[in-house]
Amino acid sequence: MIDRDKLLETAIKAAVEAGNIISAHTHDIIPRAAKESLRDVVTELDVYVEKEIVKILKEFDSGFAILTEETGEISGAQKGCRWVVDPLDGTVNFINGIPFYGTSIAFIENNTLIVGVFYNSVLKELFYGCRGVGVYKNHKKVQVKDRPPEKSLFSIAFSGKSYDRSMRKNEFLCFGKINDNSMGCLRTGSAAANLAYLTEGRFGGCCGKANKIWDVAAGLLLAELAGAKVSFQHIGTNLVNYVAATPSNWDFLNKVAGKLFV
Amino acid sequence: MARKTLLIYGAGAIGRGYVPWVFAPDKYRYYYVEAQKSIRDILNEQKYFTSLKTKTSTYQVLEVPVEFCYAPGEEKSIISDVDAIITAVGPRNILSIAENLQNTNVPIICFENDDSIPGFINSLTGGTNAVFGIPDVITSNTAPAKIGKKDPLAIITEDGFCYIDSAARKIGGDCSYVNKKLLAKQWQAKLYLHNTSHCIAAYLGSFISAKYIHQAMENRSVKMIVKGAMYEMQEMLKRKMRLNAEFVDWYARKELKRFCNKLLYDPISRVAREPFRKLAHGERLIGAAELCLTGNIIPKNVLTGIMAAFCYNNPDDPDAHIRYLISALKPQDFLKIIMNLQPNGALFELLLSCWNGTLKRLGNLK
Repeated sequence: MIDRDKLLETAIKAAVEAGNIISAHTHDIIPRAAKESLRDVVTELDVYVEKEIVKILKEFDSGFAILTEETGEISGAQKGCRWVVDPLDGTVNFINGIPFYGTSIAFIENNTLIVGVFYNSVLKELFYGCRGVGVYKNHKKVQVKDRPPEKSLFSIAFSGKSYDRSMRKNEFLCFGKINDNSMGCLRTGSAAANLAYLTEGRFGGCCGKANKIWDVAAGLLLAELAGAKVSFQHIGTNLVNYVAATPSNWDFLNKVAGKLFV
Repeated sequence: MARKTLLIYGAGAIGRGYVPWVFAPDKYRYYYVEAQKSIRDILNEQKYFTSLKTKTSTYQVLEVPVEFCYAPGEEKSIISDVDAIITAVGPRNILSIAENLQNTNVPIICFENDDSIPGFINSLTGGTNAVFGIPDVITSNTAPAKIGKKDPLAIITEDGFCYIDSAARKIGGDCSYVNKKLLAKQWQAKLYLHNTSHCIAAYLGSFISAKYIHQAMENRSVKMIVKGAMYEMQEMLKRKMRLNAEFVDWYARKELKRFCNKLLYDPISRVAREPFRKLAHGERLIGAAELCLTGNIIPKNVLTGIMAAFCYNNPDDPDAHIRYLISALKPQDFLKIIMNLQPNGALFELLLSCWNGTLKRLGNLK
């Protein structure tokens, strides 16, 4: 039996160490390459931070596989268990000095999300949770704030991987519909942060199309544990569509976002 | 003369244990509001509970008749008919009852461990009827087995003092109604002499696996640290708050004596409960240490208490997640991210510089 407390501790340790490195290098970063779109970039720092995270996770238990954004799959002997790591979600924000980014780490056991951590080192916001324990931000327990759509703010995350360019207009139609029927809809540049913010009621709901699993694995768990309704589907290798919303926003967001996923 | 009617939010340590000694059951009728169903069910079935007051080496027993105990929200039917309301639910729970208090103009006496609560309630309700009260007493949920067998809700309290804002004087009772200035003096003494030292005794006690405060105080090293912390707070109150030295020294002696009261069975898990609340800025630990520093006092013993609070390891506590954080994070990250202390600030640097030494000191308590 895996000690979940230790898993959570390890994920917290790795995320905060990653955040410390990111903070120390805020002003000396140059993008290394664009990956799948102009918005999907990688820096030297992404790679360096990822190595440090992997080191900490391996020190805890070298038997777990690790799926990372930059390296891909690092195999492990223990079947059914793996870490999912995004060393820096929101790299474009980071490069441009917009403090909305962070490190996301999740642990999956037998296809079930068990542990999730998201850390924004600029704002010193540490979100963490474990199934059976709940969700916390820094020292406080958090939960979603359930308000109707017209009193809620939403966020949406289109992937840099457009998936089907001919359907792109649906994404903007969906964005507009959410925006016009609520306090607004943001495209923040960090899906992980969106979901973390849902846990403490800053957002009433989040949805995303063709997001990378490492962007949202931790956030989806945190949102669920904080009282949001969550649904996601795998639509390709490491790609997911998802909707996460407070109970009062669930029907509204599902109905609108359904068109996004067509 | 007709008995006055009290509606008491919270049938816990203060609400059940101490309130009946201030407002005697032969002069007041008791209605409770309690979130815990198990307590409600017993109170409504028994229609009474037993409160025991420690007197020298024995107990004074009081059987308290209860008219009814409501679930939160159900009390709306009687809230406008009572003579006074008392809250003793804990600062974290006060928000949940504030809305219900809008429907009454009677005095609301807040026996909460936070002097900002009455102002908070008044601003939410638009009234001026919420006032602060200080039950200067230790109550315990743990009654001796013999009495607990007869009444599962039996509870023990000290022979304490009660100070209430004179604006609520018409309620009467066995207490001192004082003006705001005197109340503030009592509160400062309670906050920094009682609250600080009491929770330090609890966190140190948890290190030696003691169950009750008096057991913790039987450990020579624990007693020395608690006494040391008390001395640091005495000095702070004299130098910084300009409280009368005689009053401060008397208060401190009284507190140390009550921590050692073997009849009280004051549970460490209750006193140490919610370490993050006690570690909040301006509160009894971090706030106390910061005040000492601004008064040129290095609060070595209070810092030891703070470190013991950081290490509090009780999986059943609402703040049990402190265990993950202290174990996962480097000291500077814990202080910066979780405690929200300013890096390079005096307290931050002091805690960091004594981190390992204090942990060693705590480890040696065992």
